[in-house]
Amino acid sequence: MTLSTASAATNDSPELEALFDSIVSAQQGPSSAPAVESDDSVKDGGELVSRVGHLTRRLYDTLKELGGDDALEQAASAIPDACERLSYIADRTDQAAHRALNAIETARPVQDQVRQGAVDLGARWDQFFQQKLSVDDFRTLVAETRSYLGDVTKHSDIVIAQLNEILMAQDFQDLTGQVIKRVIGTAQDMQTQLLQLLIDFVPEQKRPAMESNSLLNGPVINGQGRSDVVTSQEQVDELLQSLGF
Amino acid sequence: MTKSELKFLVVDDFSTMRRIVRNLLKEVGIANVEEAEDGQIALQKLRAGDFNFVVSDWNMPNMTGIQLLREIRADEKLKHLPVLMVTAEAKKENIVEAAQAGASGYVVKPFTAATLDEKLQKIFQQMQKAGTLS
Repeated sequence: MTLSTASAATNDSPELEALFDSIVSAQQGPSSAPAVESDDSVKDGGELVSRVGHLTRRLYDTLKELGGDDALEQAASAIPDACERLSYIADRTDQAAHRALNAIETARPVQDQVRQGAVDLGARWDQFFQQKLSVDDFRTLVAETRSYLGDVTKHSDIVIAQLNEILMAQDFQDLTGQVIKRVIGTAQDMQTQLLQLLIDFVPEQKRPAMESNSLLNGPVINGQGRSDVVTSQEQVDELLQSLGF
Repeated sequence: MTKSELKFLVVDDFSTMRRIVRNLLKEVGIANVEEAEDGQIALQKLRAGDFNFVVSDWNMPNMTGIQLLREIRADEKLKHLPVLMVTAEAKKENIVEAAQAGASGYVVKPFTAATLDEKLQKIFQQMQKAGTLS
């Protein structure tokens, strides 16, 4: 939202400037020093609005001086593009996963059938070698074995086709890999610009509070050097054990 | 009740993960599996049906896995259900939180078939001790 506001600002700057000025002057008391950093002086909502107003004004002015509004406008226009690319990746990987799962679910019963046939016939051939089969039983066994061999060929063709399907389902990696690289580029550009903004405008004492303390973080992308996360199932088990679970 | 008679509910917002878990369960002889795509739907299904086991993700819309676990433990009829968490959340805080909320096991994604099987067997043993599984 902030970004789109910033980019809109380049279109009608005079109006926006007038708005800033009206907010700031409306909230301005006689002793209103724009002391944005000293944060223990917030007493009521009015003061807060006034300070947000000052802060926004300063941010806006500084961005104009630095040419940052152009940079932000660029960054803002990169976001819809990045979103589109990311949903392309989500779609492709989803399709690929289902394609592979479909193939597996098709091949599995066929392979089970091949296995079961071999187990059954094998047991009867064992009986034959133990001389426990009658001549008629032996004839049936030979005929069924012959037909089983025909089935194995057919069933193997089905399984091979499904294995190929799984192979081909991996073609997303090439496409998504390229898209991911472009999105990483965009993200790095934005990170650099936004980080600079934060360094310039977030007061020193507020910085540690910005760390995430949530329990919804998703997969750990890089666990190296972090003591607050586990990187293997063994560590999960050890932790639970140490807690008496 | 034997293992193959157990009715499972697999809760995950990604259908691929539900399918993977379903296939892995089939591998260990469990075919009676239903699916839910978030904690809310899972809770409705659990209250309506005769489930014996829950495998749940953590991060889901509407109701997360940890909320689902708490609801299950707070429900007189459901509180004895084994709940195995299978999740990408790998902070130590998450694992401690889940254990304290009464999770029966915790598997971090990405996981192997062997890991899932091992945790299932461990819970089956506990169920056998408790007399809910023969």
